[in-house]
Amino acid sequence: MFYVARRVAVSLLLLWVIATVVFLSLHLVPGDPAELLLSTGGAAPDPALVEELREQLGLNRPLWDQYASFLQGLARLDLGRSLVDDVPVIDEIATRLPRTLELILAGTLLAVAIGIPAGSHAARSPGGSFDRVAGWIAALLQAVPVFVLGTLLVLLFAQTLRVMPAGGYVAFAQDPARHLLLLALPAVAIAKGMAATVFRMTRASVLDQLSRDHVRTARAKGLAPRLVQRRHVLRNALIPVTTVLGLQIGSLLGGTVLVEYVFNWPGLSTPLLRAVEGRDYPVVVGIVLTVSALFLLINLVMDLLYALLDPRIARS
Amino acid sequence: MRRLLLPGAGVALIVLLAFAAPLLPLADPVAQDTVNRLAPWLPGSPLGRDEFGRDVLSRLIWGAQSSLQVAFASSAIACVIGVTLGLLAGWFRGVAEFLSIRSADVLLCFPPILLALLVVTLLGPGTGTLIFVLSLLYLPNFIRVAYAEVLSARNQDYVEAVRALGASPARLLGLTVLPNIAGPLLVQVSLSIASAVILESGLSFLGLGVVPPTPSWGLMIRGARATMDVAPTLLLWPCLALTLTILLMNLLCDALRDALDPRAAAMQPRLRPIDRLLPGLVPPPQPALLEVRGLSVEIATPGGMVRPVEQVSFSVRAGETLAIVGESGSGKSLTATALMGLLPPAARASGAAWFDGRNLLALPEDQFRRLRGGAIAVVFQDPMSSLNPVHRVGDQVAEAILAHRPAIGAGRARAEAVALLARVGIADPERRARAYPHQLSGGMKQRVMIAMALANTPRLLIADEPTTALDVTVQASILDLLARLRAEDGMGLVLITHSLGVVAEVADEVVVMYAAQVVEQGRVEDVFARPLHPYTRALLAAIPDGDREPDGIPGVVPRPDSWPPGCRFAPRCGHATERCGAEPPALEAALGRRVRCLRWRELPA
Repeated sequence: MFYVARRVAVSLLLLWVIATVVFLSLHLVPGDPAELLLSTGGAAPDPALVEELREQLGLNRPLWDQYASFLQGLARLDLGRSLVDDVPVIDEIATRLPRTLELILAGTLLAVAIGIPAGSHAARSPGGSFDRVAGWIAALLQAVPVFVLGTLLVLLFAQTLRVMPAGGYVAFAQDPARHLLLLALPAVAIAKGMAATVFRMTRASVLDQLSRDHVRTARAKGLAPRLVQRRHVLRNALIPVTTVLGLQIGSLLGGTVLVEYVFNWPGLSTPLLRAVEGRDYPVVVGIVLTVSALFLLINLVMDLLYALLDPRIARS
Repeated sequence: MRRLLLPGAGVALIVLLAFAAPLLPLADPVAQDTVNRLAPWLPGSPLGRDEFGRDVLSRLIWGAQSSLQVAFASSAIACVIGVTLGLLAGWFRGVAEFLSIRSADVLLCFPPILLALLVVTLLGPGTGTLIFVLSLLYLPNFIRVAYAEVLSARNQDYVEAVRALGASPARLLGLTVLPNIAGPLLVQVSLSIASAVILESGLSFLGLGVVPPTPSWGLMIRGARATMDVAPTLLLWPCLALTLTILLMNLLCDALRDALDPRAAAMQPRLRPIDRLLPGLVPPPQPALLEVRGLSVEIATPGGMVRPVEQVSFSVRAGETLAIVGESGSGKSLTATALMGLLPPAARASGAAWFDGRNLLALPEDQFRRLRGGAIAVVFQDPMSSLNPVHRVGDQVAEAILAHRPAIGAGRARAEAVALLARVGIADPERRARAYPHQLSGGMKQRVMIAMALANTPRLLIADEPTTALDVTVQASILDLLARLRAEDGMGLVLITHSLGVVAEVADEVVVMYAAQVVEQGRVEDVFARPLHPYTRALLAAIPDGDREPDGIPGVVPRPDSWPPGCRFAPRCGHATERCGAEPPALEAALGRRVRCLRWRELPA
């Protein structure tokens, strides 16, 4: 229990630090956001308009005052309004976050479903034909950037073979089959890097466990090979894999930005990219904070899972 | 090193090509020519033209240049600043440490591409922004590498010595730490460059990286997406270039890491089919519980075949204890491992080991599995690592029961496990059964291992140095326990140990091994009353006895790939003659036992 409380506290602390860093970076960067926002094509904006916007954004208040109201807003989950279309940022996030989460979940499941069996199978005969072929595929998957794979999948399945839609989104409630069909290619694209990493990690970890004394003990008990593999090799081998999984989700979250763009998946990346181009600060800050919080949360869950898998952690 | 060559050459070629772009006879990468837009091939444009009629080959090569410039610049900046911060943090500790290490931690909390997008929002897209954000992203890794090395260097004597001489910190860091981290830094730089190429292309693909019309692979893919239906090859070229570059870079990184990190370079020994002789085709007439005849173990190593166990023969009767004694490297543990059929894949056992009318060494694995933990059980040397850390000990004992008697069910197996724990002398067995291994002491863990071995009332128990890893005070109680259990169940016990003191307490027969061979073998009382082999005498002299200082044996056991030509003990033997160094002695019968010594008759009693 103490362990859980401490981990949660650390995560909250990190979240606060991240929020502060984002806030400060916004205000310490040279140049006035209001001026930057209003200047189009290098022409100097009307000073009166700039002043009005500064007023509206609260930029003429002292920094600590702005910081205080920023934190207060965060506590109430109020991330401000978009400068471009005046919609509350939190509303935009609330509708789009589930779609991004769905993509991440599908990608992770796919990566785990492929990476772990393939990795533990490859470890059975290291240097064997399966091991080598799978190793090469993993190397290739790690090398191809996620947006390249996405684009090539579209080219192959949508453009050339015409068996899959090129992209888009239909709500699950509206048409479940179509929804899953549209999810398939983005999920594959997003899973590719993680599948390769999980494969490599599982393989190395299983090989490591196979040489451990307790596996010899399990064999000395006369356990069936299947049970030795499951209870004494894989069970232990998956502990380091979960850590890697947690760390990988960071790059997965980044990958969603590109994959959503390639497949027109209406998650968080569309408003994010639009906001980055249009310098819509509240939207950028809101989404960056949301995704960072998500990253922290996933790592927290992974750490707790880790403690559950490895009884030595929580009690020490 | 061969693995470095191919990817190294590939990466070098790409870098060379990219930076030689101005010198190559290429078309202007930004010159538009709308008449020839999307032309698949033109004289001087072997890969055709893009959506603005620009030459694709030229843009590919120039695109490599802009990618690599960003990647090299950002990695170099991250390396220089990161190493400096790491050195300062590790050397001065305190505030410097807090600021560098914590800020690195915070940077790692952002998913990379989001941090990049945040910075692009603030600074606007462009090459400068890219270099800035990428160097920021890779900074933490460099800080950590440098920081960790300084911390470990600080504690080393030579650093203390140089410091005591009054050298300045900067000089000291430069001289001692930097050379040590050159390898890991090189690996880190190559990883950063590979990763920077990926991120740069991704951001450019989103239109937030390199600003058009500067050629970049990401931008080319972005542009070609729109015309995918009419000109798919336009999409393929930059995809191929990007993937190939990153693949080569990754391979180079892996090879560098292996070359600079010797731990990772584990060799897989190849198995060679070995010739087997035909000892013991027929079971011996008077059946002992275990009858070992001419057991040898061969291991294929990268340096050739070695034979760490040679022609070992002995027998164990029910209710008796046979001890195998010798120093580390004598082959005694491998003998036990071979009898359990648990040799590593690279090792092969030959000879015969008869148990219940079956030759264990020729038994198919699935039949052997039914014996292991059933009729033959084993207790290993190190209870700390021999129990699985993630399962409760009671479950691990119950598992041994269920492996052989699945019919009794999980509930009864657990109850039986608790009873077994009680039987091996564990107090409060109910509670202890629910403990994880790390919550028990070493002696307790060994009792659990013994309980596990006893789970199916074995007829033969092999105990491989069961007390070596334990405290002296615990050793005796474990030996007593084994002796008591043997008497109660009437099982045969093979006890492997390096201490003749242990043998004197519990064994009936003793086999003394040295450098893979049996050197003396007989009843314990005979051997102790009059040891014939100089090695046995040396072992006896090494037993601590009252006030007498034990005599150690000078030297170490030779390695299996360098046995001495004659008697293997000769180089360490006080009685060795010239003949001992040249002529390998045979194991011969002597005074009711066997001994392998050319001079046993001549030596003083």
